[in-house]
Amino acid sequence: MTTTVTTETTQPTGFDHLEIQGVKKVFGENTAIERLDLTVRKGEFLSLLGPSGCGKTTLLRMIAGFETPTDGAILLAGKDIVSLPPHRRPVNTVFQSYLLFPHMNIADNIAYGLKQAKVPKPEIAQRVRESLELVQMEDFAGRRPEQLSGGQQQRIALARALVNRPQVLLLDEPMSALDRKLREEMQLELKRLHTKLDTTFVFVTHDQDEALAMSDRIVVMYDGVIQQIGSGEDIYANPHNGFVAGFIGKQNFIPAEVAATDSTTATLRTANAVLTAPTLTLRPATAAGEPRPLEIGDRVRAAIRPERMHVAPAGENSGEANTARGSVISYSFLGDVIQYMISVGDNDEILARVPAAGREPISAGTEVELSWDVDAVAVYDGEPGALGAAREGGA
Amino acid sequence: MSTQTRPKQPRSKRPATKFFGPAAMSFPTWAYALFFFIIPLALIVFYSFGYKPDQFTAIATDHLSFDRYPEAMSASFVSTFFATLRISLLGTLLCLLIALPFAYWLAIKVAPARRSLALALVMVPFWTNFLVRTLGWQIMLSPDGFLSNWMQSLGLLDGPLDILYTRTAVQIGVVYNYLPLMILPLFVAIDASGKKLREASYDLGAGKVKTFLRVTLPMAMPGVVSGCLLVFIPLNGDYVTATVLGGASGSMVGQLIANQFNTAQNWAVGAAMAMILIISTLVVVGVGFALLKLGQTITARLNSVPLHDGRA
Repeated sequence: MTTTVTTETTQPTGFDHLEIQGVKKVFGENTAIERLDLTVRKGEFLSLLGPSGCGKTTLLRMIAGFETPTDGAILLAGKDIVSLPPHRRPVNTVFQSYLLFPHMNIADNIAYGLKQAKVPKPEIAQRVRESLELVQMEDFAGRRPEQLSGGQQQRIALARALVNRPQVLLLDEPMSALDRKLREEMQLELKRLHTKLDTTFVFVTHDQDEALAMSDRIVVMYDGVIQQIGSGEDIYANPHNGFVAGFIGKQNFIPAEVAATDSTTATLRTANAVLTAPTLTLRPATAAGEPRPLEIGDRVRAAIRPERMHVAPAGENSGEANTARGSVISYSFLGDVIQYMISVGDNDEILARVPAAGREPISAGTEVELSWDVDAVAVYDGEPGALGAAREGGA
Repeated sequence: MSTQTRPKQPRSKRPATKFFGPAAMSFPTWAYALFFFIIPLALIVFYSFGYKPDQFTAIATDHLSFDRYPEAMSASFVSTFFATLRISLLGTLLCLLIALPFAYWLAIKVAPARRSLALALVMVPFWTNFLVRTLGWQIMLSPDGFLSNWMQSLGLLDGPLDILYTRTAVQIGVVYNYLPLMILPLFVAIDASGKKLREASYDLGAGKVKTFLRVTLPMAMPGVVSGCLLVFIPLNGDYVTATVLGGASGSMVGQLIANQFNTAQNWAVGAAMAMILIISTLVVVGVGFALLKLGQTITARLNSVPLHDGRA
């Protein structure tokens, strides 16, 4: 079985393929996207990740041609496509609600784009068969969309877009209607297709796990502005600002004040503890701000990932530089890890995740000592209230 | 089997249903159909086999025959019948041609906030008395009416407007009277096909015209069918429009039937004419459906992808 649905361009992978230059989009009085620049490389799997209303879908719709930018240019292989209507753009979309044509069978749905492109009939038949094979739905050609399950319809929607050999495949939260297990299957499927086809994928999602699992690069967006672009590891390990730190993964944010600085570290005083941070740089709350040097007296937020926390019964000294006393409020056993909610001082809560590894969970009410590496601490500028997705904690 | 005693499942939530039974509870529905449709229709069928015994009696049914049918099909009836059919078919077609772009515009181009206003503008004349709005056309189309005067003063006409009391006037009148019945189902059907599916079509390379022909129109077909039925069937039996606007040259078969019942007091012949009208209407509708199915099968054949392996 030879399945050869590939893009016909010969540019090497990594070539700057889709360029978004200074794009701005205003709806009435709302600015959905604020002067955005982004370059998508050829053959890349790029995710646009952010909470709802961050502008990611608007950006995708501008690439597809359903929205016109208020300002700026969108270049595909060097040519500005802003003035082209959607049906003239060499991109195809997989929609959130699949949008298969209910009055056509599956084969006719997939053939739709090829017919518009006036591809000869024998070739249409050939390519429809190939793309049905590609999504492993060969036996469904004659069915009607309403006879298929959500996951099956999603595969057909993928096949219907890919059969046209688009230069860029746009995916608008295509899995949000699927249940968890099916979603994980589809993620693997999509990754497999991407590897096989070498097509540029631009994937919109609000689900960070989905973005982390599939993407070559992730674009984190918030409030119409790109907050950070990078690989999953990079964004997780090295968030450039407080929004990214809180949005990707879980995070303990502890309000603190800078008490002292030396040549490489800063000493932060919180309500209930003193902790050392391995940095003299204050990272901004969002991409709107700039990093700046820490100064004594700055009110900041110290951020520590729950998995960097060590939890030990009180009295067992871990030898780490940063420690705090607390008591376990509750724990949840998540299989691979145990997640503790620990109160420190008055009404402040810290989230800690420790490997389960056969250990007995520490029961609620037990006095514990929290500790963490100096390296685990990052320092962000304040204003936690604006960041809905971030988990707030205090100590 | 379990020996546990379970509380007995209530067979019906309403005690009244249990007491009277479902047939009694659905009385309003079947009584409506029985008393206002089945019995009157059965009477018409029955009367069409009767005869007019003397000048002062409208109907007698003491001996039954098919003789009223040939009697009803006089030369003038047949010619009026075909004229009526022409007016109805042409009227339905014209309604469709006018309503389709209008409904498309209303469902797709008009901002949702203004849609109810536009729909109200369609509906308000429709809620006005049928006779009154038809009389309005009589005033407008009359040779010394304002339309005639304007067209003459603008130099569009040499003499007075010569439309009133012709078949053209009836044609204009029925299209006007029945247009809302075509617009509404078409609007609903086009609206239901949805913006998102049109976007999917554009995304796959189809322009606006192709999207209309391949997605919007096929999905709106149920609306087209119900609109055509809603217009054609009552239009075929209409006699008010023809009475007001048609005069001698623009009469419709509904008038002939009404004459038999009201003026000539010959219910048997009137009933036979009504039966001929009902049956022929059903035949035309049946032929229309067959043509539609044939057309859909042919377009489906032309458009489908032969996958050569029996799967499609």
